[in-house]
Amino acid sequence: MSDDTADMPLLVILRHAPHDGSWLREGLDVALVAAAFGRAVTLLFMGDGVEALRPGQTAGPLGQKGTHPTLDMLAMYDIEDLRVDATSLAERGLSTAELPWPARSVAAEELPAVIAAASPVFNF
Amino acid sequence: MATTSIARHLTVEGRDVALDPEGYLVHLEDWTPAVAEALAAEEARTLTAEHWEILDILRDFYRRYEMAPAMRPLVKAVGQRLGPEKGRSLHLMRLFPDSPAKVAARLAGLPKPTNCL
Amino acid sequence: MLLHLLNRSPASSRLIQDVLRAMGPEDRLLLIESGVYGAVPPQSAGFETLKGRCYALQEDLTSRGLAERQADWIIPVDMAGFVALTAETQRTVSWY
Repeated sequence: MSDDTADMPLLVILRHAPHDGSWLREGLDVALVAAAFGRAVTLLFMGDGVEALRPGQTAGPLGQKGTHPTLDMLAMYDIEDLRVDATSLAERGLSTAELPWPARSVAAEELPAVIAAASPVFNF
Repeated sequence: MATTSIARHLTVEGRDVALDPEGYLVHLEDWTPAVAEALAAEEARTLTAEHWEILDILRDFYRRYEMAPAMRPLVKAVGQRLGPEKGRSLHLMRLFPDSPAKVAARLAGLPKPTNCL
Repeated sequence: MLLHLLNRSPASSRLIQDVLRAMGPEDRLLLIESGVYGAVPPQSAGFETLKGRCYALQEDLTSRGLAERQADWIIPVDMAGFVALTAETQRTVSWY
């Protein structure tokens, strides 16, 4: 708890799929609040969280809001640093080329450094 | 956060418009420019062309992103549309004193911005 | 060096693989709540790469009938040990 963390970005790890409870939305809300106060924010999509980036999603059958409009909005909050875990992406048959947002692919061996370079880290 | 609790009604052009305890529209589809004028008049605000520029930007923002913006993204959206002179918090503070993001969202018929204090 | 906390059973999701991938070579892992099911063989095999830096919360093992059942290389810690781990590490990352 002793290292200097003031210059580090806040990291939100998104591990839950869209339309699966409120995890994804709550994680994005934390990122938006931090960014609204001028904090540098990194988003890391991991596990089922990478499903948030899959193109072609809509609102839910009962009219529940989808997350794509929120992802489109991130740039307005100056949240530009999107990372995606390459392993999780490959496991789901996705590639960065087909993602509608410029998310940077993070190889497994680079993942610990991304997490260690951020503070605080929030997992959703 | 959207709310469904009706605190009172405002009569605009013969229609009753439901407002929540903080004065936001309960049914967003109730909004018309006349509703904005009536909400503003209640607080002795007069909406000029400069105010309407901002309300239009807010309505576009909500149409695209389904959320009312906090102050920073609102300033950015205004700057993108109207240029750097107006894309400053000072300009918005002058038009919508106190809390521009909240006041302007309310007049524009948006839900209360959730990610700002 | 970070302390990672895991509170899910390894049998219920692929979270474990994500955590292992996210951990640096010196980072430590503390199994808490349902995470302690992962301390017991054969499930503990999933954490074998973390020998020497994998811990399980004693209170959570005991309450689940797992006291003394954990793999011999998994280090049980009590609440005081938990606090000591957080003090030895720079930050804590929770996984659930």
